[in-house]
Amino acid sequence: MRSNKFGIRIAASALALAVSYGAQAVTDKDIMNDENTPEDVVTYGMGLKGQRFSSLESLNTDNIQYLQPVWAFSFGSEKMRGQEAQPMVKDGVMYVSASYSRVYAIDVKTGEELWQYDARLPDGIMPCCDVVNRGVALYDDKVIFGTLDAKLVALNKDTGKPMWIKKVADYQAGYAITAAPIVVKGKVITGVSGGEFGIVGKVEAYDANTGEKVWTRPTVEGHMGYVYKDGKKIENGISGGKAGQTWPGDMWKNGGAATWLGGTYDPETDSLFFGTGNPAPWNSHLRPGDNLFSSSRLAIDPDDGSIKWHFQTTPHDGWDYDGVNELVSFDLKENGKTIKAAATADRNGFMYVLNRENGDFIRGFPFVDKITWAKGLDPKTGRPIFTEGGRPGDPSATEGTKGEPVVAQPAFLGGKNWMPMAYSPETELFYVPSNEWSMDIWNEPVSYKKGAAFLGAGFTIKPANDDYIGVLRAMDPKTGEEVWRYENTAPLWGGVMTTAGNLVFTGTPEGYLKAFDAKTGKQLYQFNTGSGVVGTPITWEMDGEQYVSVLSGWGGAVPLWGGEVAKVVKDFNQGGMVWTFKLPKDRVAAN
Amino acid sequence: MCRPIVVGGTTMKTIALFLTLMLTWAHAWAQEVDDGNDLLNRPADRTYDLILESGYLKVGVYENFPPYSYEVDGEPRGVDIELGKRIAWEMGVEFRVHWITPDENLGDDLRNNVWKGHYLAKQRLADVMLRVPYDKKYAYMQDSTGEYINEQVVLFGPYQQETWQIAFDPEKLDSVETVAVFQYHPIGVEIDTLPDFYLSSGLGGRLRDQVRHYRNVREAFEAMRAGEVSAVMGMRSEIDHELARPENAAFRLAGNGFPGIGKQVWDVGMAIKHTHRQLGYALEAIVDRLVKQGEMDALFADLNLRYSVPQYYREFLDAKALARAEGEL
Repeated sequence: MRSNKFGIRIAASALALAVSYGAQAVTDKDIMNDENTPEDVVTYGMGLKGQRFSSLESLNTDNIQYLQPVWAFSFGSEKMRGQEAQPMVKDGVMYVSASYSRVYAIDVKTGEELWQYDARLPDGIMPCCDVVNRGVALYDDKVIFGTLDAKLVALNKDTGKPMWIKKVADYQAGYAITAAPIVVKGKVITGVSGGEFGIVGKVEAYDANTGEKVWTRPTVEGHMGYVYKDGKKIENGISGGKAGQTWPGDMWKNGGAATWLGGTYDPETDSLFFGTGNPAPWNSHLRPGDNLFSSSRLAIDPDDGSIKWHFQTTPHDGWDYDGVNELVSFDLKENGKTIKAAATADRNGFMYVLNRENGDFIRGFPFVDKITWAKGLDPKTGRPIFTEGGRPGDPSATEGTKGEPVVAQPAFLGGKNWMPMAYSPETELFYVPSNEWSMDIWNEPVSYKKGAAFLGAGFTIKPANDDYIGVLRAMDPKTGEEVWRYENTAPLWGGVMTTAGNLVFTGTPEGYLKAFDAKTGKQLYQFNTGSGVVGTPITWEMDGEQYVSVLSGWGGAVPLWGGEVAKVVKDFNQGGMVWTFKLPKDRVAAN
Repeated sequence: MCRPIVVGGTTMKTIALFLTLMLTWAHAWAQEVDDGNDLLNRPADRTYDLILESGYLKVGVYENFPPYSYEVDGEPRGVDIELGKRIAWEMGVEFRVHWITPDENLGDDLRNNVWKGHYLAKQRLADVMLRVPYDKKYAYMQDSTGEYINEQVVLFGPYQQETWQIAFDPEKLDSVETVAVFQYHPIGVEIDTLPDFYLSSGLGGRLRDQVRHYRNVREAFEAMRAGEVSAVMGMRSEIDHELARPENAAFRLAGNGFPGIGKQVWDVGMAIKHTHRQLGYALEAIVDRLVKQGEMDALFADLNLRYSVPQYYREFLDAKALARAEGEL
């Protein structure tokens, strides 16, 4: 029996090698052209612009009910916590990351594992923001991803063996990487995650072949950017020109603005678009000023890291409204003209349409039902008009008492969090995974930190409605109108994809992969994957059949924050799987 | 680690073995004990009896936190380390260090190190954690639904009272009568601490531009030596510790008050898991004796630190007993 089993194993792995050795290297052209090649997915975002739109239409509203699972793959071990990645598919192999900085290569025909890589994390590591990983980048013969100890790792796509490993930031100082890197013109572009204390966000580029650093761009005003040439570090201008313009004292030195969700790229304007997190410290009363470039979107030159323009969604943030959400490039056809536009749905509850050539504000509108912290946006600049009394109080002013609690909506987890939206050039609508919740914020009357008296804030998140938190919305970027909505009991925490088959896909914490009619929002399909879906689906074509894949595995930030939301999600079980579906050929024909 | 080179011969081997044992013994304190359950991925449930049986006590202390707990050449040092060793000695077991990486607040530290374990290290818990503020209000805090937030732990055994202190550079300032002087002179603080918040928001924000942020008090003193700041604010023990170092001999203690700080002083004690109360009673008895007999004061004095008896004892000890506890008899 034993030798027999062994023999089968050998045969299986030989086959696996045959499959992967036949694969071609991923080129810059493949990456730039990803949205036009439905037989593969080689970028995070199904195209660097991040539209998450597929031109495939064999699977469509008429036959979606015949979509069936073809294989499921387990990530194994006890590390079942928050599977937020988007898979990649190239030449019959799927490359996907899992929680705890793990990467897998899977034969997409059979669902068999080709290799697995577990990043060796240092003892005593305390990642600030859960142990998720959102995906890999592909380039040449490499699979590149970021780790919880803030390194970039390039693996050989056929063997899973490391080809280079580079430290991007010091995990002991509070840095991590959880986002998928992107590759633009041979450079791996990454941001960093970070805790609240003493960190400064940055965007960096590394040579994809060698791992050598090419440039670094800090995302807080006052810090010098650098380019690296022939082993020399050359100054390339201070972010924002100089220090101290929008920050008091030396606070810019530790200003936060972590670039923890990675970025997108638009080839037409040759710009990287990265969002930035909230400013530090959390108590906004200590840092009067706009606190640039926190809670902003930055357009960055991919060649040297220079900032082309910025747009700040929440100046002087006091609610933890990270500005990291993805900026998606699209052509806005309006009044007979086509504008090079880009849109983003912010944590703060507003959706913004910008001119992506210069960052000019075109329009902004709420994409959630209620916003309390601002009365609206200035129609010219897009700057929020703050509500009086809407800002959480200064704990120093009310020390020893709870102070006056402030109710803010959306909650700090945002009208939309990290989960990417999708844009369909066919319906010209954005499909936005959003949540309806508020938070109470107060000053903790008694608080301690590291053995010392402290001034802390307390907060609790509350659902805004009795029967649902999550809302998948179709938003019209021309009018700001919601065209349709789907309400979900639990908060939505997974990404969205749309296709030319008039379909919109997303997952739910209840475990379902769901598909909707892109025009009407009618639910057409659901399949329970066994654990919450907080990853982002993809679709591709293989041997004349259309496939869909999505990760299953409940986790992420929602279960980490209690409050009344915990009641809704406490019974969801963890997991760690890839599910792959297809529409069988005969079902297309039958249509 | 330290492997002896065996030159040859039984005697050499014996000596080498002896040396190895000595080295292992010396390093044992610095090395953490891994006694969690691998199979079930959970920490050992170390009750009082099990601790005595195992022969060691795992004492949780913050890492890199002089003068309380830190490492010098791989050896744990500091007043909390000395206290931990003393407690273990009184219990008749070996001291083992459990280093704590501080999280955002005390609640996180208690969860990660005393009752649940961090989600990346679920088998790792301290038997007892030191430097835990002893505050009834904190211990019995309730959440919005009326649940006790800290019901998983017992906070007990106050052993010191801590407070705030400023040290200044007499070359830059004649004295510090009030904090208002820091409208005109830069002052160093550890980032994201109460001194940071106090000075950044105090006097209507008029000191804000003079506040310089450092990763810890030691770095703030380095900045004072470099002339970047005229003063440093921190906890009294931190300041005392820095002033006792020869390179900081030129600096002086300030005598100012801290108007507007709600918590001017606070008691510091210990924490155990709520199911391990028997251990708590044993530890409490040991620490109570150390405090009352002035031995705690001696532990602090040995490290050039001033010592104040916790408020807890001030409620019931008479003047003479208090004087004894503070080493004045």
